[in-house]
Amino acid sequence: MQIRIPYAGIILLVGPSNSGKSTMLKNMIDKKEIQESEVISSDEFRVLVSDIEFMDWDGRPKDEADTLMDEYHEISKEAFAMMDSVINARCRLNKCTFVDATHLHPDDRKRYLSIARENNVPILSLVLDTPEEELLTRDEQRDNPRGKKRIKQQYQTFKREKRYLKKEGYDSVYTIKETQDLEFVRQANPIEKDVQHGIDIIGDIHGCYEEMILLLEKLGYQKNHEGLYLHPDGRKFVSIGDVMSRGPQSLKTMLFYYEHVQQNLAYMIDSNHGWKIARWLDGRDVTLHHGDEKVEEEFKEYELQVGSEKAQETRRALRDFLLHAPAHYVFTKNGVQTLVCAHAGIKDEYIGKQSQAIRDFCRYGDTDGFDEKGKPVRKDWSISHNKSSLIVWGHDPKPRPLLINNTINIDQGVVFGGALTAYRYPEGEFISVQAKQDYSGADDNPLVEWKMNRLNMPNIGKFINGYSVLTEDLGEVKIHQDTVKPAIDTVSHFTIPIEQLIYIPPTMSPTPTPSSLDDYLEHPKEAMDYYRKNGVQTMIAEKKHMGSRAVLLLFKDQEASKKHTGIESLGVIYTRTGRRFFEPNTEKKLMLKINQELHDHAYFKQYETDYVLLDAEIMPWNLKAKELISSQYAHVSENAILDRTKLKEKIKSANGGNEELKAWLEEYNQKLKNAHTFKEVFQKYCWEIEDVNSIQIAPFHVLAHSNQTFFDQPHTWHMEMNRQFASQSSLFVETEFKIIKGETSENEVIKWWQDITSEGHEGIVIKPEFYIARNRGKLLQPAIKVRGRKYLNIIYGMDYLLPKNLERLKNRNTGKKQKLALKEFALGVEGINRYVNEESIERVHECVLATLAMESDPVDPRL
Amino acid sequence: MQLTIKATGENVKAISYLLSKNPDNVYERNHKGHLVRLFYSKFTETELEVTIFVTPDPIELIKSSSNSYDITHYINDREFAVSSIFCSFIRSALGTALNGQPKEEYIDWVNHLFPFEFEFGPVVSTISDEVLNELFEPIGYQVTITRPEIDYSFQMKEKSSVSYISLKGTKTLQDGLRQLFILIPVIDNYKHYFIDEKEIEKLERYGEGWLEAHPMRDMIYRQALRFKEVYSQVENTNLEEKIEEPSEKIRLNDLRYERIVETVSLMKPKSIVDFGSGEGKLSVRLGFVTGVKEILAVEPSESATLKALRRFEKVTNKEGFVVPETLWGSLFYYDERLKGKDVMILCEVIEHIDEYRLPKVLDTILHDYQPGALIITTPNREYNMVYDMDDHFRHNDHRFEWTRAEFYQWCNERNLRESYDLHFDGIGEEHETQGFPTQMCVFKRKVN
Repeated sequence: MQIRIPYAGIILLVGPSNSGKSTMLKNMIDKKEIQESEVISSDEFRVLVSDIEFMDWDGRPKDEADTLMDEYHEISKEAFAMMDSVINARCRLNKCTFVDATHLHPDDRKRYLSIARENNVPILSLVLDTPEEELLTRDEQRDNPRGKKRIKQQYQTFKREKRYLKKEGYDSVYTIKETQDLEFVRQANPIEKDVQHGIDIIGDIHGCYEEMILLLEKLGYQKNHEGLYLHPDGRKFVSIGDVMSRGPQSLKTMLFYYEHVQQNLAYMIDSNHGWKIARWLDGRDVTLHHGDEKVEEEFKEYELQVGSEKAQETRRALRDFLLHAPAHYVFTKNGVQTLVCAHAGIKDEYIGKQSQAIRDFCRYGDTDGFDEKGKPVRKDWSISHNKSSLIVWGHDPKPRPLLINNTINIDQGVVFGGALTAYRYPEGEFISVQAKQDYSGADDNPLVEWKMNRLNMPNIGKFINGYSVLTEDLGEVKIHQDTVKPAIDTVSHFTIPIEQLIYIPPTMSPTPTPSSLDDYLEHPKEAMDYYRKNGVQTMIAEKKHMGSRAVLLLFKDQEASKKHTGIESLGVIYTRTGRRFFEPNTEKKLMLKINQELHDHAYFKQYETDYVLLDAEIMPWNLKAKELISSQYAHVSENAILDRTKLKEKIKSANGGNEELKAWLEEYNQKLKNAHTFKEVFQKYCWEIEDVNSIQIAPFHVLAHSNQTFFDQPHTWHMEMNRQFASQSSLFVETEFKIIKGETSENEVIKWWQDITSEGHEGIVIKPEFYIARNRGKLLQPAIKVRGRKYLNIIYGMDYLLPKNLERLKNRNTGKKQKLALKEFALGVEGINRYVNEESIERVHECVLATLAMESDPVDPRL
Repeated sequence: MQLTIKATGENVKAISYLLSKNPDNVYERNHKGHLVRLFYSKFTETELEVTIFVTPDPIELIKSSSNSYDITHYINDREFAVSSIFCSFIRSALGTALNGQPKEEYIDWVNHLFPFEFEFGPVVSTISDEVLNELFEPIGYQVTITRPEIDYSFQMKEKSSVSYISLKGTKTLQDGLRQLFILIPVIDNYKHYFIDEKEIEKLERYGEGWLEAHPMRDMIYRQALRFKEVYSQVENTNLEEKIEEPSEKIRLNDLRYERIVETVSLMKPKSIVDFGSGEGKLSVRLGFVTGVKEILAVEPSESATLKALRRFEKVTNKEGFVVPETLWGSLFYYDERLKGKDVMILCEVIEHIDEYRLPKVLDTILHDYQPGALIITTPNREYNMVYDMDDHFRHNDHRFEWTRAEFYQWCNERNLRESYDLHFDGIGEEHETQGFPTQMCVFKRKVN
C-alpha cells in the first residue's frame, strides 16, 4: 500500500492503544523515511511535563482511583496543550508533523483539523485498523499494560468512530489493516520550484496573444518545429494568471499555456478570471461578464470549427488545467525561497502553502467591501509584506511596473491599451510590449481611471499621526507626528500646489570635522578625506553659487503640464521650502522665455520628454533675499562700521603712549577691517536687477525627464547637461567643476578653492563620482559643502576668525545635519522615482511632506 | 555700542570724580566675556571727553537667547547697537554717577550743572527723527542725528538704518545719565528683551523729577515696558487690542455669523463642518443650533485652535451647547472623517486660496464628502465701491474678490454633476446697484 505524505501539514494517526502506531512510526524513522523530530507523541509529552507515561488505578479503592484519575487528566491536559503549541508552530513554519495518539474522540480530531485549517496546511489521517484480539495480545506483552477493560472500551469507540472519519474533512484518509508492506512517498512542495536557468514572469495577458508572442520573442524565446517556444538558455516563463477574458484570443492563449505547462516549459498561476472560466467549463452555474463572455463566444466559434467531440475534449483538458493551477509559486535560488509569484497578492504567512483561503486571497487580493459602483475596494496588502522575498503580482493594472515594499506589480493593462510586461528573474529587468489597441471596450478602463485618480488629494489620515516612508536607498524613514503638522500647514498656506510640488532638495552638510588648520573653519581636505575613507576614489568639485536654491519643473507645453499635474502652465520654479520663487508675472515671463529657448534647440524632442526637472541655484542673492540682506546684513555692517569707526577715531585721539590704548587701537583696527570684509562679502552675491535678463540660473542636477530619472548618472554627466543648458538659454549659466582623482588633483582643487573664495565666492561642493554612493552598503553623503574663509563671515559673524572665537566655533557638531541630509536625499530620490513612474501624487507627496517635516526639525542654521 | 560724555568750561575735571574713574588709566571690566571699557580722550581744565563702550563676546551673546534656529539670531545688530543690553553692561561702571554718591569731598558737584554733550550710537530705531526730537527737546537738549553714508553696489535702501545721536544740554551728570538710561532702551528697536517688574521701579527712580511731566510720558512708558502685563500695572487704561477694522466691518462679521446660523438652523442638521474655523467664532454659535449633535471645527493653525478651545470652554456649561470638536485638517488633503455630514460651511475661506487651486477643493467637497448642504460666503467686490476702496482687496491675504456675476458663474461651474440645487443670497446692508457686501451661495444636495 502506498501512502503519499505531503511536504507539510498534519498526519493524524488514529487507532486504539496497541494498534501499532508508534511501532509503525519507529520503523519509518529507522528506515529514514521520516525524521524523529517530525513525530509528536502524547506519551512523550506526558513524560515531558510530568515524568509519568502511564498510570494504573485498576483495583484501587474508589477514593484513590478517583484522585489518580484526576491527576492523570491534569497531566494529559498539560501535555496536550504543549503538544498543540508545538504542532501549531510547525504548521506555521510549513513543516510536516505526525501526531501519535489514539485520536478516538471526535473532539480531539476536530482540534487538529482546525489547527490545519488555521495554518493553511493539509491534514490527513492514517487509521490503524487492527483486530481486537491482536490489540489484547499486544497489551499483555507491553511494559505497562493498559488492561483488557480499557482496550475493549477503546476498540468499541474506534469501531463506532471509524465510519465518520471520511466525512470529517481530511485531505485524505488511509485505512491501514496491515503495516507490513507499507510504502511511504514523501512529496515535494508542488508550488516550490527552482529558478534554474532563470525565469520570465509575464503580466496579465487577457487573450492578447499577439503581444504575448512578441514579448516572448523579445525575451529571446524561439519557436520550435512543434510550435513550442523555448529559450536557448533553458529559461522558463511564468504567467501571473488571467491569460484569458476581455481580449481577442483567450482560447488560443489558454491552449498555448496548456501545452507549454504540460511540456514543463512554463508555469501558470490561478487567477480570478481563470477560476471563473474553470468553473464554467466544469458546468457550474456562473454568470459570465467582465469579458468572460468573450471566452464563451470563442468556444462556440471553436466548436463550429472542430466539431463538438473535439471541443468537449478541449473543454475538459482546459477545465482540469485551470482547476489545478496553483494559487502561487515560490521560486528558490540555491534552495532559498527568494521569489513569490501570485496573481493578486499574498500574505506573508501564506507563502508556500495551499488552502482554499489562500487560493481566494491570491485570486482577488485583499478587498474591503464595495464602492458606489459596486466595484471591490482594493486594500493595500503589500504594506504588510515584511519578508525579504520578492513578490511579483498582477491583477490590478498600473501604467508602469510598480515597486512597493519589495513587491512588484507587472500588470500594465495590455488589454486596456497599455502594455504587456515581463519581469526577468534574477536579472531584475523589465521587458515590455505595447498593446496594439485597447481591446477591452470597457467604459471603466482602469488605466484611464488610474490616470484620473492619480492626482486625487492625498489622504490626510495617512500622514497626520506620523508615518514612515519606505525608500529604496535608505529603507524606512520615520516622520514624527510633531513635525508633520507644521509641514501640512505650510503646504496648505504657502507652497505651490501639491501636484507640482514633487521634490524638495535635501539639506547639505559641511565637512564632518572642522579644518585641522589653525586659521580655517572649513577646508576641502576634510571633505576629500571623508570620501576617500569611505572608498570613493573619484570625486567632483563643483563651484557653489551663492544665490537661492530653486527647483525648476519645466514642461514641454501646457498639455504636458495638464497631463502630469492637472494644471495648465509651462511649469513652475519654487524654493527649497516649496514656495513659488517668483511672483506670478515674472514666473510667466521666465517660463515663456525658457520654454521658447528650449524648443528652439528641440530639447523636449531630442529627449522625447514631456518635462525636465532641474535642481538649481538662482542668482543674484538679492533676487529672493533682498529684505534679509537689507535688514540683516547691510544693517549689521552699517552698525559695525559706524561703531568701530567712531571707536577707532576716539581711541586714536586719546593721549598716546598708553600701552593699553595702543592695544585697543590695534584691536579696533582689525575689527573695522573685519566689518569692511563683511560688507564686501555680502555684496559680492548681489547685483542690480533690471529685468529677467539680470537673472542667472545655474542648474546642477538634471533630476528627471518624463520617461526616466538620472540618479544612475555620474556628476560629470549632470555637468555636461548643465553646459548644454547654458548654451541653449541665456538665463542658464555654467558651473565650473574639477575632477578629483589622486593627490595632484586634490591639491589643484584646494588651490582653486583658495583662489575663488579669496575673491569672495561662496565655496565648492565636493561630491562622489556617482549620484548615489555607498560604502559597504551604507549610503554616503551625496555632497559636502566647503565654504570659503571670507564667505563664512556672513554666517559665523565678522569676527569669527579671531582665534578665541574660531577655537570655540570648531566645536560644532554636524551629526544631526548629516543624518538629515541622508534622509532628505533618500526621500528626494524616492519621490522623483515615484513621480516619473506615474504613481499617485499621494505616494509622491509622502516623500515631499516628509522632507518638509524634517526641515521643521530645528538644526543650527549656520551649518 | 558706545557713549561719549563731553563737557567744556570751568571745573570739568570734577566730572572724573563724579564718575569715579581715574583719567590717567583706562578702565576695563570683564562681564561674562563682554568687556566694559572706558577711557578719557581729553582731560584739560576746560575740556573733558570720556568714552565708555562695550566689546561684546559675540559667541557668548548669542548663547543667551532662544530662537537659535534662525540665521538672523546669529547675524544681528545686538552686538553693536546701544540698547537695554548696553545699559545693563555699563550700569555698574557708572554706578557712582547714576546714584550721585561720589566720595564725600565731591558731593557738591553732584548737583552742579555742566554744559554737556552726550554722544551715543549706533542707534537702531524705528522712531522718526521728529519724534526723537520730541523726546529729548522737552528735557532741555539740542539734538543732532547723523547717519553714515551708504554706498552699496546695488539699489537696496534709501539711507542707512543706523544713526548716531548727539545731545547738547546743561545738566547735572546724574540727570543726564538717568535720562539716557531710560531713553536709550525706549528708542531702541529690540523686541525680545525680557522686561520684569524691576523696570517699573527703575523708571520711577531714574525718571524722578522729569519723566512725569514729560509730554511724551505715555509713549516712554509704553516703549519701556513693552510687556503689556507689566504696563497695565502702572496704567489704568484698558489695553484690549486696538480694534483696527472699522466698526462697520465688525458688524458685518456678526451679521454674517447670524445669517449662517439662521440658514443652518432651518436645515435641522445633526452634523456640521466649519471649514477654516479659525478662532471658533462661528463654531461657538453653531454649538447652540437646536438638534445638532456634532460640530467639526476644521483648522490647520495650532494657535487659532487654542483660542477656539478657550472660546468653547467659556460656554461649555451653557444649556444646549454642543462643544465643537476641533479637527486638525486642511482643504488640500482628503479627509474621510468629513464624509457625509449634513452641513459644511466655508465662511470667508475661499478668497484666501489661490483661485486655480479651488476647483479641486470644491470637487472633493461636493462629490467625495457629499454634504447635505454646503454654504459658501465671500466678499462681493462690487460693494468695495461703497467702501471707497478703489482696487484694494478687503484683506491683505485675499487672493481674489469676485463680483456677483463671477461668483454665480463659478458656483454653477462647480456643480458639474448637477447633484445640488444652488441658492444665492447676500448678507449685510444692500446697496441699490452694488448689492450686498457679502455674497452667499447654498448648495443643497438633491434628494435621490
